[in-house]
Amino acid sequence: MNERVQPVYLEDKLEEIREDGHLKYRSKSLPTWCPGCGYFSMADALTVALNRLGLDNKDVVVVSGIGCASRFPFFVNTYGFHTLHGRVLPVATGVKIGNDALTVIAVGGDGDAFAIGAGHLPHAARRNVDMTYLVFDNGIYGLTKGQTSPTSALGFKTSSTPYQNGDMPVNPLLMLLSYEATWVGQAYAGRPHHLADMITQAIEHKGFSFLRILSPCVTFDKTNNTYVNLGMKVRDLPEGHDRSDRLAAMARAMEEDHPALGVYFEEQRQTLGEVMQDAIDKAQGMNLAPKGV
Amino acid sequence: MNKSGTDIQFAICGSAGDGTIASGDIMKRAAAAMGFHVIAFDVYPPEIRGFGKCISRIRISSEQAYSLKEQSDVFVSLNDGHAIPHVGEVRDYGAVIYDDHLIAPVAEGGHISAHIRPAQIPYGLPIRQISEQATNAARSRNIVVLGYVAGLLDLPAEAFRKVIAQKFASKPAVVTESNIRAFDAGLEAGRGVFRYDDVAVGAAPTAADGEAVMMTGNGAIVRGFLEGGIQSYFGYPITPATSIMERLAVELPKAGGRFLQTEDEIAAISATIGAGFAGSRAATATSGPGLALMTEMMGLGVMAEVPAVVVCSQRGGPSTGLPTKTEQSDLNLAVHGGSGDAPRIVIAPTNVEGCYRCAGMAFEIAEKYQVPVVLLIDLYLSNRYETVFPSDKNVFAPKPREVPKVKEGEDYKRFVLTEDGISPRALPGDAGMMYTATGLEHNELGKPSDVLHMEMNAKRHHKLKSAVNYPGLTTSKRFGDMGKVDVGILGWGSTFGEILETMFEAQAEGISCSAMKVVMLSPLPEGELRAFFDDCKVVLVPELNYQGQFANLVSGAIGRPVVRLNRTIATPMPVAEILSEVRRLAAEVNEPVAAAAGGV
Ligand SMILES: Cc1ncc(C[n+]2csc(CCOP(=O)(O)OP(=O)(O)O)c2C)c(N)n1
Ligand code: SF4
Ligand SMILES: [Mg+2]
Repeated sequence: MNERVQPVYLEDKLEEIREDGHLKYRSKSLPTWCPGCGYFSMADALTVALNRLGLDNKDVVVVSGIGCASRFPFFVNTYGFHTLHGRVLPVATGVKIGNDALTVIAVGGDGDAFAIGAGHLPHAARRNVDMTYLVFDNGIYGLTKGQTSPTSALGFKTSSTPYQNGDMPVNPLLMLLSYEATWVGQAYAGRPHHLADMITQAIEHKGFSFLRILSPCVTFDKTNNTYVNLGMKVRDLPEGHDRSDRLAAMARAMEEDHPALGVYFEEQRQTLGEVMQDAIDKAQGMNLAPKGV
Repeated sequence: MNKSGTDIQFAICGSAGDGTIASGDIMKRAAAAMGFHVIAFDVYPPEIRGFGKCISRIRISSEQAYSLKEQSDVFVSLNDGHAIPHVGEVRDYGAVIYDDHLIAPVAEGGHISAHIRPAQIPYGLPIRQISEQATNAARSRNIVVLGYVAGLLDLPAEAFRKVIAQKFASKPAVVTESNIRAFDAGLEAGRGVFRYDDVAVGAAPTAADGEAVMMTGNGAIVRGFLEGGIQSYFGYPITPATSIMERLAVELPKAGGRFLQTEDEIAAISATIGAGFAGSRAATATSGPGLALMTEMMGLGVMAEVPAVVVCSQRGGPSTGLPTKTEQSDLNLAVHGGSGDAPRIVIAPTNVEGCYRCAGMAFEIAEKYQVPVVLLIDLYLSNRYETVFPSDKNVFAPKPREVPKVKEGEDYKRFVLTEDGISPRALPGDAGMMYTATGLEHNELGKPSDVLHMEMNAKRHHKLKSAVNYPGLTTSKRFGDMGKVDVGILGWGSTFGEILETMFEAQAEGISCSAMKVVMLSPLPEGELRAFFDDCKVVLVPELNYQGQFANLVSGAIGRPVVRLNRTIATPMPVAEILSEVRRLAAEVNEPVAAAAGGV
């Protein structure tokens, strides 16, 4: 066994990365996240996905809310809109309606999605707005320095639940499945290649795609969603999972102790853009009069 | 006003189901078709169902009028129980028209004839009988009375017949036929009656100012939006803005635009801002409670410099307040609402024509200044009808966009500091100009940074300055006596109609008087305001709110004292109240100094 392990030279690796092409989706700004934060995987995976799909930078808009996760648009070289806490979905809906040719990617944290912005979730999903929603779920409020979030586990101690969290966490996948989302998936920041695949598929899906990405907040959560814990818990969706079966997807979504990664559910349905085009087409034919004043 | 020529106010009162509003609608459309100026306002019962009181009031004049009159000239009762409390609003020698052949006995005082003043002229007729004879049903009483009024006042019957035919065009032909029969029967009855000279309608103006269209303020906003090239609309129902949304739901797809009823007002303004960011001409409409929800997102529009058009039709507040009553108490919210120093443009038209013009220009203004524009109106303006003379269609059509240019190898500075504060705006899809818009304070590139906070604040305020001189937009205007006057009346929004009427009355009494309307509430036309204050010995500000929100805004901005007249009475401001205040002030400023000085 005197076969020698071939050394990997940094220079070669950099050359390889450069040639791959995904760097053109990176912005000049370096991410401001804490070293080790799971979100770095997301930034990398999105650029890989955009590169794979061959999308032109100028035709992509990344819209976000407020939070550590929502800093995301600054780190990708596309158009971006860093909006308000909880309002990413309606703003992104407006962007898509404003210009249907754009690829719209919405990004936010778990607080953004399931607390302050939760009222918008069912509506973006049921309307089947043709966009991709990436929720970076670290089970905590990162930006405001470690308070409990709607996905924090029972018993979790945070600065706002110093004795322990007693609020039952929400089940994001179950929510979105019941809100009639047409694409529901789950990924994990610790599996960057799988993550890039999932983001690619989510963008490719015509309609509203919801991808929950489990991610550790290394600064404010030392006990719960750590790399070690998440790495031990996550598994793949079983081979035979039927992604056209919403009930089966719901059953899988309820297995919360061992969150499975993959595409839970997928279906094709008329998108909001198509519904609106339909109204435009219908309106040309019939001379409908407005009622009232 | 209109001391000469035609100026007649027609009112009809009945219970829901009597066809009161429909009757008023035919009257105002017929009058408009005859070439008259029309202002009309309907009062509905607050309940959706039942037999509540409906009144339709229509002022018909040969010259432009500015508000309804407090006294009607012709009053029709379709339901005495509802009409009796309103007989008093008929002027002396005005006509009260009612059914004098009731089928059931009424209690003493239950019949309207017992309430008509000696100076008023009663016109009783068997309304129900005429309807039954003409159409085999009592249902057409509301049309019979129209015929009667047309006969009595010698109005061109053909104009009515045309409007009736239009109104029932979608129904089977027999409906139109039977309504025309009812109208003709009423006409016959009215023609035979002796008419006192005082109850008269003069000739319509011969030279009409073009093709008049009857619109409500909300309808005018929609028409302006459509001519201004609206591309997307997002809304959530709320009185009195709902009809803007319902009308656009029908009209916008016809024009190739996109319409969405959102889950709440936050989503409505968010999507409006999102669409505006993407380059779409986008709008939303709401009332005070909705605007309160929208303020955070409007602040983002200010900070990220995104155009948007937001209509707020005010109703009584605070909170759910008086949903079906008019008020002007959301000025503070519209001008200042939200966190931080968030300058925006607020435009408050004073009549229906103004709603049309301001809405037509709103997108262009929002795009030029890259800022949310609020069109602030109120229920009285939203729901009242006026004749409008629309412009040539091309006036408000969008002009081609200029795409910003960047030099090779240089970064696009989305928020570059310029002399006028306006930075050329790229849209998603433009090559080589990718940037991220943010509600965080940022540098010229748009990157989060607080180094330039002072400069960026100055930019956001400074860039709006020139809006007060926006070409083609009347941002303020003075009426009445020019030069030095005793009393100035300063106003905004729908109340300005009553202010103008007051000014005409005061002038007729010999009071030296001038009125000024301010249409742009933010930024304020301070120069014009100062000049007005310089010319007036005293300035009165009548408005429909408790705090004197506009008075506070003006006196805060230019540091001059004002006299406030604040009313929250759930109705428009009575001309009589403004007039008595004007009289008082005119007497006061002309009092000998010695008397005013008192004992020191
Ligand atoms: C209206 C409003 N309320 C509160 C905040 C403060 N705030 C900013 S981010 C945040 C929570 C962020 O948590 P999450 O969405 O999970 O994102 P993370 O930072 O964990 O990525 C809060 C409460 C705000 N910016 N705006
Ligand atoms: S605070 Fe947590 S979520 Fe935010 S950047 Fe740091 S590690 Fe990531
Ligand atoms: Mg979080």
